[in-house]
Amino acid sequence: MGPCDPNFLSCFLIVALPLLSFAVIMIFTWRRHRLSLAISLTCSTIPLILAWSLFFRLKDTVTLAKPIVTQVNWLVSDAVIVPFGFLLDPVSLLMLGIVATISWLIQIYSIGYMEGDPGFARFYADLSLFGMSMLSLVSASGMLQLFISWELVGLASYLLIGFWYEKFSASEAGKKAFVVTRFGDIGFFMGLVFLTFFMKDINIFGLGIFDINNAALTKKLTEAQFTLCALLIFCGVAGKSAQFPIHVWLPDAMEGPTPVSALLHSATMVAAGVYLITRLFPFFAASATAMTVVLVISTITLLLSSTIGMVAKDIKQVWAYSTVSQLGFMAMGLSAAALGGSTLFAGYYHLTTHAAFKALLFLCAGVFIHHFGTNDFFVMSKDGGRKLAIPMVTVTIGALALAGIFPFAGFFSKEAILAQLWHLPNKLWVGLGLFGAFLTAYYTFRVIFVMLFPRKDDDPVWQEYYVREEGGHGHGAHDDDHGHGGHHGVPWVMSFPLIVLAAFTLVLGFLQTPLEKFLLGESHPHEMNYVLLFSAVGCALGGIGVAWLDWGSANARWQGFIRKVPALENFFIQKWYMDHFWRWFLNTFIYGTFSRIFTYNDRRVVDGGVDAVAFSTIGSGRLLSFIQTAFVQLNLLFMVLVLAGVGLYLLMGR
Amino acid sequence: MNLLSLSPQAVATIAFYLVVAVTLIGALIAVAARNIFHNVLGLAMSLIGVAGLFLYLNSPFVALMEILIYVGAICIAICFAIMLSEPMYLPRPPRKLSKILGGVVGAGLVFTLLFLLTKKTTWVPAAQRSTDWSVTTIGHYLLTNYALIFELVSLLLLVAMLGAIVIARGGRGSS
Amino acid sequence: MLVFNQLETYLYLALLLFAIGLYGVLARRSLIAILISVELILNAASINFMAFNRFLAPHPAVGQVITLFIMAVAAAEAAIALSIIVAVYRKLKSINIEHATELRG
Repeated sequence: MGPCDPNFLSCFLIVALPLLSFAVIMIFTWRRHRLSLAISLTCSTIPLILAWSLFFRLKDTVTLAKPIVTQVNWLVSDAVIVPFGFLLDPVSLLMLGIVATISWLIQIYSIGYMEGDPGFARFYADLSLFGMSMLSLVSASGMLQLFISWELVGLASYLLIGFWYEKFSASEAGKKAFVVTRFGDIGFFMGLVFLTFFMKDINIFGLGIFDINNAALTKKLTEAQFTLCALLIFCGVAGKSAQFPIHVWLPDAMEGPTPVSALLHSATMVAAGVYLITRLFPFFAASATAMTVVLVISTITLLLSSTIGMVAKDIKQVWAYSTVSQLGFMAMGLSAAALGGSTLFAGYYHLTTHAAFKALLFLCAGVFIHHFGTNDFFVMSKDGGRKLAIPMVTVTIGALALAGIFPFAGFFSKEAILAQLWHLPNKLWVGLGLFGAFLTAYYTFRVIFVMLFPRKDDDPVWQEYYVREEGGHGHGAHDDDHGHGGHHGVPWVMSFPLIVLAAFTLVLGFLQTPLEKFLLGESHPHEMNYVLLFSAVGCALGGIGVAWLDWGSANARWQGFIRKVPALENFFIQKWYMDHFWRWFLNTFIYGTFSRIFTYNDRRVVDGGVDAVAFSTIGSGRLLSFIQTAFVQLNLLFMVLVLAGVGLYLLMGR
Repeated sequence: MNLLSLSPQAVATIAFYLVVAVTLIGALIAVAARNIFHNVLGLAMSLIGVAGLFLYLNSPFVALMEILIYVGAICIAICFAIMLSEPMYLPRPPRKLSKILGGVVGAGLVFTLLFLLTKKTTWVPAAQRSTDWSVTTIGHYLLTNYALIFELVSLLLLVAMLGAIVIARGGRGSS
Repeated sequence: MLVFNQLETYLYLALLLFAIGLYGVLARRSLIAILISVELILNAASINFMAFNRFLAPHPAVGQVITLFIMAVAAAEAAIALSIIVAVYRKLKSINIEHATELRG
């Protein structure tokens, strides 16, 4: 179990190498782009190999109930021991592999995407930090370590979202992501503190994930205590996974380079929240109240983001909102499973498939953005987006998976989640889930049809949609330089990850049974629920059909059906006024009320008190300054005499 | 020789008295001599005596460190400070009786009271005592149980080093 | 009972060293001499730790570790104090503690 344990060593290398690469690049080689790239790629390839070799070596030996925990004592000060270690069970093993794979693919992809950027080396350093923090979050054995990695993920995303920091909106977006998720993290930390407080016999340093789940299984705490802790920890989840009402940072996070968005949205930042729920699934499942709250919030998130996705014109915004909605969907699946006494499989499965196809969608979007120098998919459409064959095919595959069409991965995982919702006594949830699936299919294929079937150049619809803003979003100016004229087609390093991810998207769906067997140790026979199956496929196809009528067919009006209700459309375009709400909330409550009270308090009570203390100190100092003779040794003598007095007291007093 | 006929215990006792004498005489020179260099030499002598005491207390490693760190490093540093500060040829101010009296009274009072306290207390050894005196164990403790303090001390030394440089070079631009 | 195998011997010895150092701190005027006396006081404390470690403590390595820490802290303290002395000399052209009276009230 010590540091020489091969499992520990591999995990340690998986986590330490990217960190090493970050440090080396930031300190030594940040001027030399090629060298930095080589270092970063080496330090992400080795973890990739190690992660999958761990996976295949341990996949038959570990189970959820019997994980492998390898720990060493990291910090020891007599009684205080802070362990550092890794928890290897099916959930973390699979996630390790996925995170390592996707961050590796994105590093490959970025060779093409970030070529020529002055911050190339810094970009790779930050990517390494991001990978390291997520890998350590995934494999952490204790809650403290998990929390540290959790915060590191936040830090790395801050650095990457604000990567083009010379652009005001980018640095603002980075700040927003950092501050908003911090709101949730306060809750998370409070939850941890309460948990250690309730658990009594354990301190926060030694609080292992396994301990928490065991406490939940053995009903060590009362229901109310579980509810409090679970809700507080869910605050952190909501922040990271962009759940309502603190999802506002995620769309803004599109300011970062597109590979970052892909990483952020598939396997790292936002996945961290849902991953935490799966990690602590028995703990969350112990509180039905908390799970109901999670179910409600995630359903709101699903609907809110799907409807906003229907009207967005920025391709990255559409994918961003689809991420928010799919995360809501995962949380729905997990909470429904907890309420229905089922397993974490459905939500976790959707997490893995989503990681693959969402990374694919973003990387494809990145190719288009790189090529056309704009984020607006209407502009891409007019400028000939469909001529880029590989990205167009792969983006369609990704979209089919996102919409949940057989035989792509999304179909199977969505089906699993809907089955969980179906088992709830209240059929409203499954209805809302199906409605969400319909909306998802609609807005996804809105993008695809617009890109695939552009109108002729003189068609009047372009007056509304063809608005080319130079250097608006993304890194327009930089792209225009060499994106347009430089090379035809797509560089190999950028299309390779697309093909790999598309292959994953195709294959993952058929791995459902082996994955379930691996995760749970047994595979439940699927009773085919034909009503649900047909309604789900019907919803998805219906969404695609409506999208075809609105955007695809030759005589489509190129107006969303939502245009019929202008008020509602405007409501969606304004993102349900959530940004306004937060602005208003901050202005009215934080700045208006609290700040004013605190300012008054600060001026009158605190400042006044301090001033009074200062004046009285000065006054008494003036009075007593004759004592200060500057004869240090005289002062010392008095001190010694007092010491002697204490000695006398000890001598006589006892 | 007469010395050969002495028992080992007697030799050890005589050596112990010698060590005590070195310690105390060194300490007296360190505080009483008028020449500052004699003070430093007295300090070194006293510290070597303390190292001898540590040998008697079963701790050769700490004794070695005492000589290395105190005699080897601190005393030399004090010599440097002497050379960098007041010139030795200046006339020294005459001693003041009042200060000496104050010192004697203060030190004497504390000594008496602590002496009485020590005498009064009964010292109880721990119920179970390990007999592991090896340097290996010390190293082990330094890097396991007291690793945090160890790191803190490293930090302290670093800060002290930087602080000493900053203070001694007399602020920005004056060098 | 041999004299060097008794706890009290070491305690009295440390006490003497402490008192001598204390006298130096109270009576000497040179800052360097005061520093030297402080070193004596620190050594008295070390002797106490080592003596308790030898005769009373449950685990004999712990006291030695503490003594090592005292030495490290003493080294840091000496470095800082000496640099302060050099700085004081540069400012006042003297290291006599009775001349350092700029903070007199």
